[in-house]
Parts: sequence; C-alpha cells; structure tokens
Amino acid sequence: MFQLIATPSNALADEPVSIRATGLPPSQIVTIKATLKDEKENLFQSKAFYQANNAGEVDLEQASALGGDYVGVHPMGLFWSLKPRRVFQRLIKKDVNSPFCITLDLYDSVCLADSVPTLPKASQIVQRWFVGPGVQREQIREGRVRGTLFLPSGEGPFPGIIDLFGKIGGLIEFRAGLLASHGFAVLALAYFAYEDLPGKLVEKDLDYFEEAANFLLAHPKIQQPGIGVIGVCKGAEIALAMACYLKQVVATVWINGSSLILDFPLRYRDLVVTPAQMALEHSQVHVSGAMRFRYNIDDLWSKLNPQSILPVEKAQGRILFIVGENDGCVDSKIHAQRAMERLRSHRRSNGRMLSYPGAGHLIEPPYSPFCFASWNNELGNAVLWGGDPAAHTAAQEHSWREIRKFFRQHLPHSGSKL
Amino acid sequence: MAKLIATPLSALVDEPVHIRVTGLAPSQIVFLEASLKDERGILFSSQASYRASEVGDVDLERDSSLGGDYVGVHPMGLFWSLKPEKPFSRLAKRDVIDSPYRVHLKLQDQYSLLTGVDISPLDSLILERWYVAPDVTRIQVKEGRLRGALFLPPGEGPFPGVVDLFGATGGLTEFRASLLASHGFASFALAYMGYDDLPPQLERVDLEYFEEAVEFLLRHPKVLGPGVGLVSTCFGAEIGLSMAINLKQITAAVLINGPTFVTTVPHVYHGQVNQPVPYNIEFVTTNSLGLTEFYKVHEETVGKDSKYCLPIEKAQGQFLFVVGEDDKNQNSKVHVDQAIAQLTRSGKKNWMLLSYPGAGHVIEPPYAPLCPGSRMRFLAPYLSWGGEVLPHAAAQEHCWREIQKFLKKHLLPDLSCQL
Repeated sequence: MFQLIATPSNALADEPVSIRATGLPPSQIVTIKATLKDEKENLFQSKAFYQANNAGEVDLEQASALGGDYVGVHPMGLFWSLKPRRVFQRLIKKDVNSPFCITLDLYDSVCLADSVPTLPKASQIVQRWFVGPGVQREQIREGRVRGTLFLPSGEGPFPGIIDLFGKIGGLIEFRAGLLASHGFAVLALAYFAYEDLPGKLVEKDLDYFEEAANFLLAHPKIQQPGIGVIGVCKGAEIALAMACYLKQVVATVWINGSSLILDFPLRYRDLVVTPAQMALEHSQVHVSGAMRFRYNIDDLWSKLNPQSILPVEKAQGRILFIVGENDGCVDSKIHAQRAMERLRSHRRSNGRMLSYPGAGHLIEPPYSPFCFASWNNELGNAVLWGGDPAAHTAAQEHSWREIRKFFRQHLPHSGSKL
Repeated sequence: MAKLIATPLSALVDEPVHIRVTGLAPSQIVFLEASLKDERGILFSSQASYRASEVGDVDLERDSSLGGDYVGVHPMGLFWSLKPEKPFSRLAKRDVIDSPYRVHLKLQDQYSLLTGVDISPLDSLILERWYVAPDVTRIQVKEGRLRGALFLPPGEGPFPGVVDLFGATGGLTEFRASLLASHGFASFALAYMGYDDLPPQLERVDLEYFEEAVEFLLRHPKVLGPGVGLVSTCFGAEIGLSMAINLKQITAAVLINGPTFVTTVPHVYHGQVNQPVPYNIEFVTTNSLGLTEFYKVHEETVGKDSKYCLPIEKAQGQFLFVVGEDDKNQNSKVHVDQAIAQLTRSGKKNWMLLSYPGAGHVIEPPYAPLCPGSRMRFLAPYLSWGGEVLPHAAAQEHCWREIQKFLKKHLLPDLSCQL
C-alpha cells in the first residue's frame, strides 16, 4: 500500500522535514510533487523523480532525484525548488498568524505535466509556520514607530533585534517571527510605504530608526543595554548606518547591501550625508527580461564624495556581513570587502564576512523557494536577484545558523532560553 | 540637433543595419531603444546606452554600449537582444510575403525604463525588416499529399533546390525558406504535420512523403538538378538525416541541432523500419527560470552506446552539421560527434561540422533574438532552448553565411556560376 510520510508535518518553516515514500513496487520510478497556494491564490509547484529501492522505498534523506526541479540528494529540495506557475512571482508570507500549507503528492510514474490527469497514490499536507508556539505578536504604533513586535514566551528579558527589509517597502514579518521563535525579541520595522509612513523612500532618517531602537530598549521584556539589527538590501545599508551612528546598536547583520549611502541622503540630527548615485545606464537586462542592476562599481567608488562612505570604524558593536557572490542586484561582495578593509585600516576587528559563491540576493531563512527574479510594480519590470539554486539554498541554511549564533554571542542576555 | 541615422531603412532581415547618432553634446549619455510588435501583438523591445564622442556622435559600428540589453561593440545588438513583454514568447514571422517587421528605433536622453513616463524621443525612425527580397514569388503547394510553400527567386533560373524542414512544432514555418529564396535558392518549406489536412501528430515518419517532396522539387522547371539540398532543424533534422541516407537525390544536407537517431516515432521507407531509441523521461529537469530541459533523456541509451546512430555512412551526399553546444533540448554535440565518428570509421569525409560554444537549440538566420524557452502548445511545459545571448548571436551570423556557401558549393555545377 502506497504511503507518503513527512515528519514533522507541522513545524517552523526553517526546520527540515523528512520525507519517505513506502509500499512502492521495487525499482519503480515515482514522482513526488509539492504544491502550495500563497495568500493571493498564486500556485507554486515543484516535483522530483525518484527510483524506489528493492524494498519499494524512497527516502529523500538518501535517495538521489533523477530529474525534475532538482537532481541529486536534497532532502528539502521540494521546498526550495518550488516555482510559481506565473513567472516573476515571489513567495512571501504576509500573514504570519497562519502557516503555508504544502501538499505533497506521490505518483507511481513520471509525471511531467503540471496538471496530472490521475489521482496521486498518496498525499500528505505539511504546515510551515513563521511563528513558534507561545510567540506573541503585537502591532506597534508608538510615536513615529510602525511595525510588529514578536516576543518569545516567558518573562524575559530577551535580546532585542530590529528587522529591516529593503526596497520592497511595507512591512515584512516572516523573518522577525522566525527569529522570535528562536528566543529573540524582534521588531519588524517598516520605514516607508506603510500606514502613515512616507509613501516613497526619499531619505533615510536615522532619527526614526533611533526612535525604534529606544522603543525596544525601553520595553520591559527586552534586555539592556544594546540591541541588534538585521537588514537585507536597502535594509542592510540602513542597518550599517545604524551601527555607525547609534551606540544602542551592538550587533549588526548586513545581508547583500551597500556600505555607501546610495541614491537617497542619510539624515541624523544635524548631519546630512549626500548619497552616491548608481548609474542607471550601466544596468543590464537578463535574457528573461529581468533587470540586472549590479554592475562594476570601481569607477563609482573612485569618483564619489568620501562622505558618502559609511564610517564603519565608528561602529561600537560587531558586524556580520553576509554576501551572495551571484547577487544580481548589487555587488555586495565589493561593498562588504571595502567596509572590512576600512575596519582593518582603522585597526578595528569587529567585522566578519561570510561570502557564499553561487548565492544570490535574496538570502532568507532556509528552504525559502529559490527566486531568480520577481516583478516590481514601481519599476514596471522584473528585478534579477541572481544565484544558483543549490548553492543559494546551502547559503541560506548555513547563514541562518550563523546569524542566530552571532546574535546569541553578541547581544546581551541573561539566562533566557535560546 | 540630435539626429538618428540608420541605413538601410528597408532591408532583408538578415542584412545588417548601420546605426549612428549625430548632433549630441560631447560625452552625452544617450539611450537607444528598439521595439516591434509581432503578429500576435506582443511587444518586443531592447535598449542600450552609449556615451557620445568628443564631437557628439555615436556609431554602433565603433562604440561600446555601456549597459542595457547588451554591453560592448555590437552593431546589431538592438535586434538580437529584443525581448518580449510576455516572458518566453518566441519571435517567429508567419506572413513572410506581404509584410515586414516594422522596427521602431528611438533615441532618448533619459532612462525611460524606470521613469514610467512616456517621454518624447530626441529622434526616431522606423525600419522595415523583410523576409523576402523584391520579386521572390511564393507558391502554395498542394500536390498529391504534399503541403507547403515553394519560394522562387526572381528570374528564369534554374535555381538550386532546397527542402526546408522545421521541427516538432508542426505547422508551416516559412521564414527561412523565403530568405533562402532571397539568396538564390528555390526553397520548398515543407509541412509534415499539424498543417492543413496533414495529421496533427505523426505516428511514423513516412520517408516516401519526403521523397515525393524531393521529386516534386526536381520536376519543377525552375529547379536545377540533379540533386537538391536540405536545411533542417531538430526533429526536421532527424527526418533530414533519414532522407539523406535513403534518397540519393539529397546532395547536400544541413542538419541543425538534430538527433542522429530515431527519437519519438519509427521511420519507415519501403518496408524498412527504424524503431525509436528508448529514453528515460525521468531525466528531464526544470531550471531556475522554470524552463524544462530535455537534453538528458537519451543519456543511458545513446549517451552510452553509439549503436543507435542511424546508418549515416550510407548517405551519398554531403553533410553540414550545425551544433549549439549549449543546447538544452537535445544533446546535440554528443549525438553529432557519434555520427561523425561513424562516418570516419567508414572512411567517409563527406561532412563538415560547425560547433558553437554558448549557442543554443534555436539557431536561426542572423539577428533573430535569442529565445531562452517557449512552449509549443498551450498547456505544455515551457521548453528550455539554451544558449547565451552573445555567443548565440555570433553563431547565427556565422553559420548563415556558411550554410549558403555549403549549399552553393555542392548544388551548383561550378563556382563560376553566379547567382
């Protein structure tokens, strides 16, 4: 009797799942498909073809996929190779109060087509959560601060982190929810295109981010005297600026961002930092039609106003630079390397770089589906994120462990369970 | 006063265009955009940025693009880097006689792609790109079982005859035959499935049908004998190989990214049957763009044993193999290498190989945009064709010249015969 077993069937989205098929004819070639509908009913699918062993079993922890959306031994391949039915869609969980439900289907033949005429021989639904049990979620509207605060269960106090996304704008909560599920108090912070915040990003107002940092530190369940910041893309640039100028920031994770003030000025109290401008005439178009904004910035760096370079030597806390070497959006390696050189030239040793060959721009918690490009409404075009799927996925797994280790080591904590 | 110049304004689609800009400020950055709407109404567009010289001009034959759809010195880059607004749409002209592609060329001084606003260009032009030269005639063919279109060059002739076969998309693809006719060949675009009253799918390749096509062509008063040429792609090249083996009238066969063995349905000729080679469909993979790659399905059979290769050594004519080494639909390089090894073992030297690193499956006449993947029918998976933009464009330019040279060399009685 055909069986498809996936354990755990109900878990955090960053936890691996063991998938096994049993009761198959020996040496039978089978298809295992994964299907997910996002919150807007967009379909994401993946599949892999396996050959059952003599005992009529396929164990994804050991078996090698022969074809499909990935090849080789990849226990979580069905998750990270999920692809949208319509190109340029990206999977992002908006409402973290509910899980993503992934349906796993087993077919006893090779099923190439997306819609299969036969019924699966066995099915299993797997739930993937972005908040763990007991994590509390609280919407924040304090002063100018807009976001969502995630608190682990218990008395605390917990190490505090501000979570920043990039030019996508709005409020993205899923990473903050996951970090909170690992014992951190995390504020997913919006800074434009959300509620009464500015509709467009026209400047980076560090006073706003300082307000958010102070809000966190004033919270009874958050550990003093310093907080962490994690940011990706434009959020990384801001996180690095916070590290440079705000003493409240003691640990910063920078993912695929800039170490210059780019495109929009930075403001902090009386200081205004003029940005360096990216030369649009150098951006390229990928064969799919997606825009590749990354280009060689040696020229830009040599001609810019030195004031636009973030003074990383002023950062009092620790900085972890995470680089996807195949980032199609920004040459994050150059930015990280220059920042590390600057730290070294000022005899600072509080920086560390993790550089992942083959990883793209969207380095997210593990098992997030690999997205090579996605549509940007404001641009009216798709943006190329880059990356090679298997390498990118390995980078996500590795960096997520490193990020949590980094925050555990460098944020103040007092015996709360991590 | 900025001026955009392109010559010629009206030309065959395989002829280059010289694009220049004058009247700019020294070192001014400008953006050139090309766009066309295909017959389905899908917009294809491309753009590139240039820096004007000290005297305020840009010459695409001299200057390097700074960014956009291509980088570097590429005079025809705006054409072969055209991209569809509907991803993975393939540009393929259906009507080749009555209308050209109208390419709009625009000169901008702003990066209009990101402003979202329609800005008036500094200057603009419309180019006509034709698939037929003036006075080429098209004759609808409905003779016996044969279905297709015959294209004749202007004049009395006689002209070397060519049968043109495309792949398993079926229907009738005419644009290559019409271009070949524009270069002096009597070209018969032959349909074999999914066209008119032909079956929608083939249950077998009936080589007698293709033999009738060759005989029809040779009977035509404007076709020079005693043999004909063949230009064929993919499944059409699989058929073409069988034709070259069995029909002595095939003097010169161009096989582009075709299997050298029987793939899906048996080949039948006067009672002799060649069965399809087993394959492993489970080796099909989907890449990160969501495009399906088929090139591994014969790895266990053809990939491991050359016995499956058709008896190519029996062919009397000449072969020109064209291989895109980055073909993701067929393992073209491996299969052609086997066929060449078989010819060599039999002491035959009647072949020539053009193998292009970085070129994909869909090698077409020059300046055709690279299509990374498309689907052949509604609801079918999108197939990956492979290829990298720059090497693929270069391969198309190079092999088109070579194909014409090859056909003329072997179909014309001597080289002093000018067309």
